[in-house]
Amino acid sequence: MDAEPLRTDRVITDGAANLISRVEELAYELTIAEVMSRDPRAIAPGTKMGEVMETFREARISGAPVVANGELVGIVSLEDLIRALRESNIQAPVGEYMTRMVLTVKAHSPLIEALKVFEQRHVGRLPVVDDDNRLVGIITKGDITSGVMRALQYDYQEEEVRKYRARHLFEDIVSDRTSLTLRYKIAHGAFAQGGNASSHIKRALLRLGASPQIARRCGIAIYEAEMNLIIHATNGGMIRIEIEPHRILMEAIDDGPGIYDVEQAMQPGYSTAPDSIRELGFGAGMGLKNIQRCVDDMYIDSTPGRGTRLELRINMPPQESLGDAARKTGTTEERDDHTTNHRR
Amino acid sequence: MITLQTIVDELGLVVLTEARDFGAVTPASGYASDLLSCVMAGAQKRSVWVTLQAHANIVAVAALLDLSAIIITEGAMPDAASIARANQEGINLLSTPEPTYTVVGRLWELGLHTG
Amino acid sequence: MKLTELIQLIDGAVLTRGADLNRDVRGGCGADLMSDVLAYSQPDAVLLTGLCTSQVVRTAMMADVAAIIFVRDKQPTEEMIQLANREQIPLISSPHGMFEVCGRLHNAGLQSLEHAYDEG
Repeated sequence: MDAEPLRTDRVITDGAANLISRVEELAYELTIAEVMSRDPRAIAPGTKMGEVMETFREARISGAPVVANGELVGIVSLEDLIRALRESNIQAPVGEYMTRMVLTVKAHSPLIEALKVFEQRHVGRLPVVDDDNRLVGIITKGDITSGVMRALQYDYQEEEVRKYRARHLFEDIVSDRTSLTLRYKIAHGAFAQGGNASSHIKRALLRLGASPQIARRCGIAIYEAEMNLIIHATNGGMIRIEIEPHRILMEAIDDGPGIYDVEQAMQPGYSTAPDSIRELGFGAGMGLKNIQRCVDDMYIDSTPGRGTRLELRINMPPQESLGDAARKTGTTEERDDHTTNHRR
Repeated sequence: MITLQTIVDELGLVVLTEARDFGAVTPASGYASDLLSCVMAGAQKRSVWVTLQAHANIVAVAALLDLSAIIITEGAMPDAASIARANQEGINLLSTPEPTYTVVGRLWELGLHTG
Repeated sequence: MKLTELIQLIDGAVLTRGADLNRDVRGGCGADLMSDVLAYSQPDAVLLTGLCTSQVVRTAMMADVAAIIFVRDKQPTEEMIQLANREQIPLISSPHGMFEVCGRLHNAGLQSLEHAYDEG
């Protein structure tokens, strides 16, 4: 029978790749001291091999450091014990059978140092010493595995706790009007930074438990508003987002030049942007219309020479109020969807 | 060789400019872009240009490059002045509610390829 | 269609790292105007574009675009690549123009993921 090829189309998923890179990171983040076994059973060089066997069995270990006068002088393993047994020399002192040229690792070194030694020297355990070369512990491959597993488990719990906290943010804050406000300053002409604020807002909404649909609508609306400030506002402007359990209020404010004809500005295709802006993929006269499509309410207050205030509102469907704080008796929103008020 | 008439019929395009003998117009290739600078640099003579841009400058670019027609996608509507200018310059403006991706796909199926 | 198949069809080169190229893509959207992408593209579309600025990556983030194909060998800046890596949006460059790329993908059965224009 043909042997099964080992890695046909073996796909590493995003999740797996993340996990692998996290383990790699941990090998550098964790120190040997954090995963080693402390207070190892040190054995004196004069101890008889027979006694070592008893110690191994009692402590369920397969090796131990040999220490004389507080100094590490060797390491004795199950293999040494077997050698002694084979030679019927069980009464011999440990000093005769132990390995003398002992490889050690430093307690404060990153885990990767121990991994390198295990990889290159094919040893089963490594004594761990402090800066004064005093024995402080012992590390095996098993210690590394369980240390990394513990750290991963911890990461996972942290993430869960963080998610839980975010989702319950609104429940935990007891107040009549619970909201989270984010403010961003937008500089005129800062194309390279365009979208920074909206990306942060979208991410924040997703963390707070908003559905991808709501986060997308908000992100698109606020991104267009942000680009408008960058393209048109003489001195840039400000974006302010107020996230409440039942609705998201967004505001984009600037101090000029103002919109001369809001009605006309709303017309698809109408644009005052120069060709240079069009060549950057914006300014095609779709922005305001696009914003309107994404929100439940839109309100433009603009005075030529004075500035523009764009107010947007997205109402949360009752089943997906942010922060799970859907107090069923909560605010009743009047939903006058898709109405646009213009005021001059 | 494919004619503009076939394209108009097959894709159900709305003709925005004056009616002409589209059976006699035989586009050589297709080009798609919404960036005028790209069109200026890349569109071949006698090609059909697919774009969702509807502002006045598209007519000027098409006249400059001697394009066969502009298909304006997603229902974008040029203003009356642009249509008048296109009539003057002999540029055929065609319109469709479909997005660029679909229009190009259909043109490709009809055998109109990159120049 | 798998993203890997799509990349082959357009002789594409992947410029980012880490993102899952074995994912399925549901359809395409071709535009150079980012407002158009924001307005009409549906989530998980592959964006074909001749525009090559950081706004393309930002737009992709906002509109939940599955991957960005830069046509006509446009090369994004290192900054754009880093942003895309962080957001796990694959950036792919194709030597062909927009017309060719749309044509090939449409012909291979990749549907449009852009709403036709509506009055809303």
